[in-house]
Amino acid sequence: MNVHVSTLDEKTRSSLAIESHSETEEYFINMGPQHPSTHGVLRLILKLDGETVREVIPVLGYIHRSIEKISEYSTYRQIVHLTDRMDYLSAIMNNWAVARTVEKAAEIETNERIESIRTIVSELERIHSHQLGWGVLGMDMGAFTPFLYGFRDREMITDILEETIGARLTMNYIQPGGVMFDIHPDFVRKVKEYLAYFKPKLDEYEDLLSGNPILQQRLRNVGIMDAETALSMGATGPVLRASRVPYDLRKIEPYGMYGEVEFRVAIGTAGDCWDRYYVRIEEMRQSMRIIEQLIDNIPEGKFLLKKPAAKLTIPEGRHYSQIETARGVLGFYIVSEGKETPYRAYFRTPNFHNLWSLTAMAPGGRVGDLVAIISSLDLVIPDIDR
Amino acid sequence: MGFVNFESAKESSMDFGGLPVEVVEAPRGAPSNTVLGTLPNIRKVLFSLFKGMSITLRYLLHPSTVVTQQYPENRNELKMFDRYRARLKFTYNEAREHHCTGCLICEMVCPNASIIIHNRKGPVTGKKEIDHFLWRWDICTFCNACVVACPHNALEMTGNFESAVYDRRLLIYNLNAYAGPPANALKKIEDPEERKKAMEARDVYCEFTPMAGASLPGIAPLAEKKEQD
Amino acid sequence: MDMLDFFPSSILQAADTSWQTVTIAQRASSAFRDHDLSGTIGYLLLGLLFTAGLLTVLGLVLIYAERKLAGHFQCRLGPMRVGWHGILQSAADGLKLLLKEDIVPENADKLLHLGAPVLSLMATVLTLAILPLSPTLQVVDLNIGVIYVTAVTSLGVLAILIAGWSSNNKWSLLGAMRAGAQIISYELSATLSLLVMVLLSGSLQLSEIIQSQSDGWWIWKSHLVGVIAFVTFLISTTAELNRTPFDLPEGESELTGGFHTEYSGLRFAFFFLAEFVNMFVASALIVTLFFGGWMPFYIGGWDGFNSIMGLIPPGIWFAGKSAFFIFLLMWFRWTFPRLRIDQLMSLEWKILLPVGFINIFLAALIVLFEWHF
Repeated sequence: MNVHVSTLDEKTRSSLAIESHSETEEYFINMGPQHPSTHGVLRLILKLDGETVREVIPVLGYIHRSIEKISEYSTYRQIVHLTDRMDYLSAIMNNWAVARTVEKAAEIETNERIESIRTIVSELERIHSHQLGWGVLGMDMGAFTPFLYGFRDREMITDILEETIGARLTMNYIQPGGVMFDIHPDFVRKVKEYLAYFKPKLDEYEDLLSGNPILQQRLRNVGIMDAETALSMGATGPVLRASRVPYDLRKIEPYGMYGEVEFRVAIGTAGDCWDRYYVRIEEMRQSMRIIEQLIDNIPEGKFLLKKPAAKLTIPEGRHYSQIETARGVLGFYIVSEGKETPYRAYFRTPNFHNLWSLTAMAPGGRVGDLVAIISSLDLVIPDIDR
Repeated sequence: MGFVNFESAKESSMDFGGLPVEVVEAPRGAPSNTVLGTLPNIRKVLFSLFKGMSITLRYLLHPSTVVTQQYPENRNELKMFDRYRARLKFTYNEAREHHCTGCLICEMVCPNASIIIHNRKGPVTGKKEIDHFLWRWDICTFCNACVVACPHNALEMTGNFESAVYDRRLLIYNLNAYAGPPANALKKIEDPEERKKAMEARDVYCEFTPMAGASLPGIAPLAEKKEQD
Repeated sequence: MDMLDFFPSSILQAADTSWQTVTIAQRASSAFRDHDLSGTIGYLLLGLLFTAGLLTVLGLVLIYAERKLAGHFQCRLGPMRVGWHGILQSAADGLKLLLKEDIVPENADKLLHLGAPVLSLMATVLTLAILPLSPTLQVVDLNIGVIYVTAVTSLGVLAILIAGWSSNNKWSLLGAMRAGAQIISYELSATLSLLVMVLLSGSLQLSEIIQSQSDGWWIWKSHLVGVIAFVTFLISTTAELNRTPFDLPEGESELTGGFHTEYSGLRFAFFFLAEFVNMFVASALIVTLFFGGWMPFYIGGWDGFNSIMGLIPPGIWFAGKSAFFIFLLMWFRWTFPRLRIDQLMSLEWKILLPVGFINIFLAALIVLFEWHF
């Protein structure tokens, strides 16, 4: 089979060579790597016809730090701390993906306390990630204020996590065989206080942004992606669920304590930006429900079952495991030779796959729509490049 | 002008590959394009705009909701959490004796080699003991692996996050206050004079640290610089 | 007509006082007539100084106010470091912009690149001259004031188009094209609303429009027509000012700064200053046309209340009323998201413009049959 992979040069040249019959001319424009709404160093090459987007070519690699290659020279515990730097808004969940793979491969036992703590901190982090996503979407739509409201509430969660973990962003909390620290004595009280605080705030979020007719006009029926396209693009997380595919690993393949708690999977109906936006709002509600069910009865027990200095090897073979982060399915794949370090490590990161659905959604819209679509995908660029 | 009716969020159960999944649908009001439907829509739109504006106004009128921390001004009141991970330090007992045996476990678990340990043969005890414990604040990722892995609890992370300096080399620290055996080994030395001799004082910047003996414009020479705790 | 019995004649604003207006230009010409050369030059200089001073003060105050208000809208403090509560912040920023390197892109059209900010600021300064800030504080009182304002503020769009074109940057050009389309479209409905007020007051002269409101502000006494004109004018001036929710030409998250992407230093400061002073001009126009300019707020029959209100000098009234509308514009900016370009256009051409046409027709009827109070 012959697969022709067209290079960037070919793409831009060939379309310029086409003789235009109309008076207007299509042109290329670089969106990024330094652009306020590409959320970092993503570069999009846009083919525009006036303001209408004809084609989007994402160019990656501006923040590539070769995490996978470094992983080949790192022990499994050291890999955990590298994952903080991929999707920094769901650092704990990234840690969990590595921990889960290693635990499954090396058959390390965990207890209920560990799983409860992991679930609670992950859900807290999912909430704060979605809060930031909400605020950033507001900012990309031109309303600067929601960004700071989102950040204000997010800071409170990072404060709670900081008290237990000692870091605000690069947590490195979940370790193979447990968690790094036991929860702080104040943790339970503070989480409950926070939930009581945030519930009315979430309604305020809705009044401020969801209820705003301008925002609804900007998001509804923009960047529509049907379920087939979403699946074929490999999109996961809220992006896929907004296209009416109720695929959530927490439900489909429960890990942690997700099997024992009640929650609903938020889905959209049309797969447009509005659905992707609202699925996140709804997920915040469901995450709060999960935390409420778990926070009162964290079982007693040890928080770390394997000594942090002990040698950790996993049997020869290929191991894969995945979890649901705030942005979708994060998989960790190890080819092991039975040593302390993996022979090959690969991360299936959600943002990389979500990004490409942009190419299916953006053509036909305006530049403003493109910004809305990027924002509704809630991309974290370091996670794309790794 | 379509307007989303938020009460229309539906809860139902869906089938996903034979697995029933409880779902909640994002609300999505149908746009009403009739002439009669326009007026209630306009009312709703105006109402929602005012609602949004009332939220921002409420924050404007309540200065107590301000969350800004005036950082350099509030340095004295600012208290970091106990577990905050910023600056690595040796733990000392009351007699200012550390617990490091120089076992190199921390150097081994450190993911990016920000810990470099130089051991020596002790002049008094004749056993292996720590000479220089170098920690590179400039490349440390604060993953806490060294602290957790240390079998003697000789290390701790402190909340001192103010690392700004004019030269990156100033961030390479010599952590041990003295080169010599740890507290456990010192206990075995009976003679206080001997014990004192076993503890050879070390500065933050000495020998292996790049700033040892050097000076930079605007930075006090090493002799006057004291370790800030 | 019967409509008059429907409302008890002007509850609001009944104290009928006529004001003597003397502009600086009138003083200069009367001094000239009296062969008082030093007086003439003095008054002309005063006019110049007044405009320049107003420009500077407005720039400093409004930028500081915007940043402080934005801060508190967003649970922040805003500028706090320079001076007491950051009161000198905009002066410091102005100084910084003054001293910054003036970067001109290599392939820019140098002359146009230089000219655009100047033109932008000029359009603003020219309107400042005719604003009646109080009966005695007006540089020149043109008898075609309303037309003059519309004409001169339209120069601003030229400046933006030139800026976008001369920068030789695709983002700038996109922003400039958006601005051109937007401002020219919204000028239509803004002018229609202005015409309604011209119809009602029967004059193009700004001071006379204010005088015609001595027995009641137009917003009270023109039935629904004035209110509709006011709302249309408010929306369309917000669009002309390029402020959220119509800030597409700058649209930071879309166009990385729009037409002024390639500007730095003093040239950027000119655009920035023009934007903020334009905000004052728009608010001043709204106040002049709909809210009685420097007329105090009276309630018919409440003589005690009215005499207290009358004590407040008209200049303060004008400043207070415009401050309210400036605040409103800032409030919009820190609450609303921005529209998309096609939505923006359809709002103007499909809603505001038809409404404006119907409104001016109704206003003509009202004036014809003298239905207004």
